[in-house]
Amino acid sequence: MNKRILIVDDSFYMRTMLKNMLTDAGYDVVGEAANGQQALEMAVATTPDLITLDVILPDNTGLDVLKGIRQQQPDAKVVMCSAVGQETIVNEAIENGALAYIVKPFSEERVLEIVGSALQGDGSPV
Amino acid sequence: MADSAATRPAATSGRAAPAAPEAVVQLIVFRLGDEDYGIRIEQVKEVTITPEVVRMPKTPPFIKGITNLRGDIIAVVDLEERFQLRPAGRPVPEFSYTLAVEAPDYTLGLIVREVPRPITIPVSAIEPAPEFVQDTGQRDKYLEGIAKLPDGQGVIIVLDMPKLLTPSEIMRLPGQSAATAGRSAAKAEASDAPSKAH
Amino acid sequence: MTAREQEYRELFMAEALEYYDAMSRHLSELERNPQDVGALNELFRLMHNLKANARAMGFVDMGEVAHKMETLFGQIRGNERTFTGSLVTLTFRAVDILGNMIRAVGAGQDSADAKPLLENLEQLIQGQEVVEATEAPTEEEADADAARKLELSDLVYIPVKKLDNLLNLVGELVIDRDRILTLAAELGHPALQATARHLFRISDDLQYSVMDVRLVGAGVLLNKFPRVVRDVATAEGKQVELVLAGQDVQIDRNVLQLITDALLHIVRNAVSHGLETPEARQAAGKRATGRLIISALTERDDVLIQVQDDGRGIDTEAVRKKAVRKGMITTEAAAALDEQEVWALLFEPGFSMADKITDISGRGVGLDVVKLAIDSLGGRLRVNSELGKGTTFTLVLPTSIAVKGALLIELDERAYAVPLLHTDTVLALPNDQVFAVGGLLMTHIQEENVPLVPLRQLLYSEGDELLPRATRSDLPTDGSLLQVLVVSYNNRRLGLIIDRFLRQQNIVVKSLSKPLDTIDLFGGVTLLGSGQLCLVLDVPALTRLFLAKRP
Repeated sequence: MNKRILIVDDSFYMRTMLKNMLTDAGYDVVGEAANGQQALEMAVATTPDLITLDVILPDNTGLDVLKGIRQQQPDAKVVMCSAVGQETIVNEAIENGALAYIVKPFSEERVLEIVGSALQGDGSPV
Repeated sequence: MADSAATRPAATSGRAAPAAPEAVVQLIVFRLGDEDYGIRIEQVKEVTITPEVVRMPKTPPFIKGITNLRGDIIAVVDLEERFQLRPAGRPVPEFSYTLAVEAPDYTLGLIVREVPRPITIPVSAIEPAPEFVQDTGQRDKYLEGIAKLPDGQGVIIVLDMPKLLTPSEIMRLPGQSAATAGRSAAKAEASDAPSKAH
Repeated sequence: MTAREQEYRELFMAEALEYYDAMSRHLSELERNPQDVGALNELFRLMHNLKANARAMGFVDMGEVAHKMETLFGQIRGNERTFTGSLVTLTFRAVDILGNMIRAVGAGQDSADAKPLLENLEQLIQGQEVVEATEAPTEEEADADAARKLELSDLVYIPVKKLDNLLNLVGELVIDRDRILTLAAELGHPALQATARHLFRISDDLQYSVMDVRLVGAGVLLNKFPRVVRDVATAEGKQVELVLAGQDVQIDRNVLQLITDALLHIVRNAVSHGLETPEARQAAGKRATGRLIISALTERDDVLIQVQDDGRGIDTEAVRKKAVRKGMITTEAAAALDEQEVWALLFEPGFSMADKITDISGRGVGLDVVKLAIDSLGGRLRVNSELGKGTTFTLVLPTSIAVKGALLIELDERAYAVPLLHTDTVLALPNDQVFAVGGLLMTHIQEENVPLVPLRQLLYSEGDELLPRATRSDLPTDGSLLQVLVVSYNNRRLGLIIDRFLRQQNIVVKSLSKPLDTIDLFGGVTLLGSGQLCLVLDVPALTRLFLAKRP
């Protein structure tokens, strides 16, 4: 069974890479959002099983988006993505219900491992 | 309506074919006005219940419009109206059949009120239309001949489809000459009031 | 380099160059106004992204420079420092060097040693002033920079809408080309004929190239089916093994879009009606798990999409009987149909209003929708089936189609489409904005008097008669607004009075066949989603007609 994933990242390159990794592994990427506004809209429209969320976005920070998504869907499973250097935000994100943190640049194995365990989890951080 | 067609005596005419081998012709027979008309079966692509027809402005009234026949958009013509055969006061039936007939490079729909039926007759049964018929009305320009059915089962007027199916003939209004038919029916706007144009 | 690596590289380059341009712009803004928070946030974000992307590509130095810059902008944002002094000069320099690095990647060259820059940036981060940074670049470097700054990315993103427009224009070009070719042949002028033939070849290539740009892999759609099949199979208690093939087959994105629903329907149907339950399969001596293959393949100029199941197959006799029972066909006519003709009945609208519980081994709920979608594309549908062995539906699709944006309007309860190419504005006019001049209604739009004419009059006016003279007394007196579609052709605007606007929609225009092809008021016809036929108005012809017939 294919789990459905929404990718939120302002870099087209990053989205493409992530999407290829996830699609190849049999996930359905149901949407790609490039900013916070899109992310919130698409989270509602696509009701994904999991959202990968970049911490730094053009219109609001990933943290605001996380809070927004959790407000709309308290059960939403969100995994944060960020390059090193933004650990404070990431920690705050975990406190706000994000399940895990993928460090960019990511390896395929790492992404699949984190996404896999986040999807299996009962909603508590992995 | 299907029942009335099935009980029509001509439906059994296949049996009338003589034992000796003789050239036969298969016709699809339908009713226009109060007469039976026939078209050679090889000219008929299919018979179907008339799908929704969309009226097309700027066409003569006997062009009922266009319809979607399995992806082909074809024009649908009411021959009763085209040949002025419908008795006054008889309404256009709401439910009708469409015969899709094939011209060399297009398909045309002919609307008929009752389900058409196939018959087989010897070629020799078709007699060229007599002179006096040819003078009476413009319909007769498109006749191949008249087929007499055996045992007094009546006659079938056989239409010469290739003659009728040239676009300029189809679009021609009754009483109009072929040369102007296409223009006045279709391109009226182009030729009208040229002094005011542009 | 694999195709995917190549793709990543191109994407990286395109985005990095975009980032570079934006960085330069925001840096100048920040220099003008060091308090510009928006510019600062953007610089921070762009550096962060460039860092992540560069590292993913393995460009260590570039990633490191971007990382240090991100840190610096983070400090400024955190009010730990201000955008002044040697920081300004050095950040400008650093962005230039990032630009050089990006371009070096594009050119496949090694970039210059970044160590001095990195050391300087590190010093700044540690709160030290940097003296060397003020050193002017050498003249050679300056020249090289000046020349390079004009380079643009090799990759552009194009909205599908623009491609549609391009293809429409090519379509019109091709029509004119054919006309010229015919004229050249009629005139018999050898030089003209040679030129016309050349034009023919070039426009052919052009058409092909434009279509080529719009092709995507069929996988874009096929890859969505594992989920669909799983859901239906679960709901119906079926076991299904799904096989996808031909994801790389190239097809027009718009074609894929238009058949999405149809394909969904066929696949759902195949799982719920085509394939049997595991028990029934085993009883029939088959594997409990049914097999469903969705594949795309190329056949000459067409793309075939096949949905093949190893289920129970179509019971031809049951379909035949049912069609008779539904009154779609007489018993005699039904008996005369061959297998293929019987199967075609499945896709007729009358048939699909089937009883909810399919009493035939098969299919029937709403398959007419499939036919409609394929018809609207000018495609074909093939069915092959063997009782007990399975069924294959084949969608024969054109590789490419032209889709036009159009406005749908309503007149006398009929929809008409007007290509967006010729629509100007849409107005709802109160009476007091309409005046009558010389027998014509007019309104004032953007300092121009635009004549208004009821579309009904244009469409149904007879023969040579001029349009009736209009006065303000023709206007509605009940206070309702006049619905006007302003069309334009050759810079001439004309307001068409219609009943109402329906919506904007992409349509596939089919040309009218004989004998109606001579009616130039209609550019063709399109099939709406409902299967309803909709005439496409030809604005140039309408405008000419109006000019010829105005009172």
